[in-house]
Amino acid sequence: MERRSFLKGFGTVTACAALIPTITHAADEAKKVTGPNEMSTESAIAAITGGKPVTASAKVSLSAPEIAENGAVVPVKVSVESPMSANDHVKAIHVLATKNNNTRCANVYLTPANGEASFGTRVKLGSTQDVLAIAEMSDGTFLSAKQNVKVTIGGCG
Amino acid sequence: MDVSRRDFFHIAAALGIGLPTLGAAAPTPTRLDQVGLKDIYGFNAKGKVTLLHICDLHAHIKPMYWREPSTLISAPNLTGTPGFLCGESFLKHYGMKGKTLDAYFDTFMNFDTLAHKFGKMGGIAHMKTLINHVKTERGADNVLLLDSGDTWQGTGLALKTEGEAIVKAQNYLGVDVMVGHWEFTYGKKRVRELIEMLKGKFISQNIVGDDSFADDYEELIFEPYTIEERGGAKIGIIGQSFPFTSTANPKEFTQGWSFGLRLDTLQTYVDKLRKEEKVDCVVLLSHDGFSVDQEVARQVKGIDFILSGHTHDPSPKPTVVNGTVIIIAGSHGKYVGRLDIDIQNHRVKGYEYKLIPVAANLIPADPEGVDLVNSLYAPHEKEFSEILGVTKNILYKRDTFHSPFDELINDSIMDAMDSDISFTPGYRWGTTVLGGEAITMDNVYDMTAITYPNVYTFEMGGKQIRNVLEDIADNVFNANPLYQQGGDMSRLGGVTYDIKVGAPTGKRITNIMVKGKPLDDRKIYKVSSWGGNLQNAGTNLNDKLTRPVYDITAGYIRKQKKVDISGNSNVNILDYDCGCPKKGSKSC
Repeated sequence: MERRSFLKGFGTVTACAALIPTITHAADEAKKVTGPNEMSTESAIAAITGGKPVTASAKVSLSAPEIAENGAVVPVKVSVESPMSANDHVKAIHVLATKNNNTRCANVYLTPANGEASFGTRVKLGSTQDVLAIAEMSDGTFLSAKQNVKVTIGGCG
Repeated sequence: MDVSRRDFFHIAAALGIGLPTLGAAAPTPTRLDQVGLKDIYGFNAKGKVTLLHICDLHAHIKPMYWREPSTLISAPNLTGTPGFLCGESFLKHYGMKGKTLDAYFDTFMNFDTLAHKFGKMGGIAHMKTLINHVKTERGADNVLLLDSGDTWQGTGLALKTEGEAIVKAQNYLGVDVMVGHWEFTYGKKRVRELIEMLKGKFISQNIVGDDSFADDYEELIFEPYTIEERGGAKIGIIGQSFPFTSTANPKEFTQGWSFGLRLDTLQTYVDKLRKEEKVDCVVLLSHDGFSVDQEVARQVKGIDFILSGHTHDPSPKPTVVNGTVIIIAGSHGKYVGRLDIDIQNHRVKGYEYKLIPVAANLIPADPEGVDLVNSLYAPHEKEFSEILGVTKNILYKRDTFHSPFDELINDSIMDAMDSDISFTPGYRWGTTVLGGEAITMDNVYDMTAITYPNVYTFEMGGKQIRNVLEDIADNVFNANPLYQQGGDMSRLGGVTYDIKVGAPTGKRITNIMVKGKPLDDRKIYKVSSWGGNLQNAGTNLNDKLTRPVYDITAGYIRKQKKVDISGNSNVNILDYDCGCPKKGSKSC
């Protein structure tokens, strides 16, 4: 059903978190930035936008579960309302896990030939956090949407 | 059973029975058994269609006792709202009087005394008499029986027959449509088999394939909705199974299926039923939980009625949110909800609702149901009826933090495993045993009968234990209902702690003491746990000690013979003065 139409809009996927199933539970550690690919959410956003402002927009729709069934593989879908014409299209969609050490989960680059700006992947979330989608528009502006995803050990009924 | 005239007036008042009418019809009854079904069942019939609603039977096909909670604490923004009401606050909210039959069913107050007066609750033979009465009154073709799930699990009988006995009970009651939660803990294959046996339909719009190598990847696993014609109207019923099954229960039972609230597809089905299928009424048959369904009604447009379940709330009056009418019918077979709907010109014009208490001493048993129950129990009677011991004080399950029956189970585990700490689950199903009464093996199964009953013993660091407690607290006390999972706090043996429910995530719990000493973040503790997945987070699992919780508990009670549980909570609530706070208040 929706999957088929959504697959059509696939762009190029880079640098997603490794999908290793592990037991995840709420970590209370403050984020420590040490590794070569690790950066704070602020610097990750700056690296994408070059310092330009990002506006939260209803044009960007981000779909993720309220509570992750498995923090190692959380399905995230992003679609951006756009005519995808030469003059007005989405150039890129970025997915960020704001509290992961490796913040940037996916960078998807699009052209008008994609027809529609929609993309789905699975991200690994180390703890309860906001997932952020940033859309880079052809006019040079940046639009965003975010959703909080709860990662829990669970266990009530 | 003798009941004084005064008691009878209470019953009459509770049931809305007009005394003059009774006086005119017959000599004033002085005994409970002189009150007829008609008196109990007084109902201001409306329209042509009736939906009968049950939820969270938890496999209790026999009458039982079930005491409602005396502590039901929530995030401050939800305090005293439907779903978080108990005791006096409950009575005030719904405009009820104490010491009546309804108050006995709906609250914990004077439970022991009233239990001796009014007797047991539920049982399929009594439910069936009620259902038959409504079908006779309304015409069988105008009535639907809808079941919000958590039906196949919760007793020894359900466990021993892998749900089959309970499906037979549903077929006997005439369940037309159901959704699920604990049903799934029998595993995917068994669920399919049981659905085959069920005469009614099993629907769910919020379960899809999750295995990218399977044919059903991102496809629905069950029919998302059904359209039933009753009383000349088209009723569209959408199914919503428990959204967090794969988080709250072991994932292996539903490997390859993905759950979730899926409010976007829910909205799509509501619109489709209205615009394409041209139904006259849209019903959501739900196992979301009462609080979550109030949020669903805020976010999804066009649902006429939500028949909720999961959180076990009795709600004598409907809760209306954005024009959507939400009802929920308690648990354990205590109630049947009757919803009459007046449909005119393809729209809902009006409705009438009553939550009918299934008072087993008032409503006669249907003989066919008695025979069915007896035949289903016969093969297990010898095991189930064993008297393990006698309890001095009442044993019950429901409470946000602590319950006497869970304390008894934790004592059993600590005794058997010699652990520092034991964790038992904050499920909302179980049973109640009155003070002075015998505890049977059946009662132990009522509290523990699950398909993953093992008690695991392993090691955990102090800091990890603290984090786990905070994590569980955030699921129970989240200010956003959509992030709650609808259970109560895990019960702890060997531990006391303070909690500030309204504090931010990760900062609610303080002053954790293990066997009287402060929890040391760096120390390794010996922990026992059942009914969750805590063992996966621990290390050095001691496999030799692993045993089912019902064996451990039964063995301990046999040894004790006389059980004396204090009932004093091991949890100190810092930001509320009492267990049943009023709306916008920290006190009762």
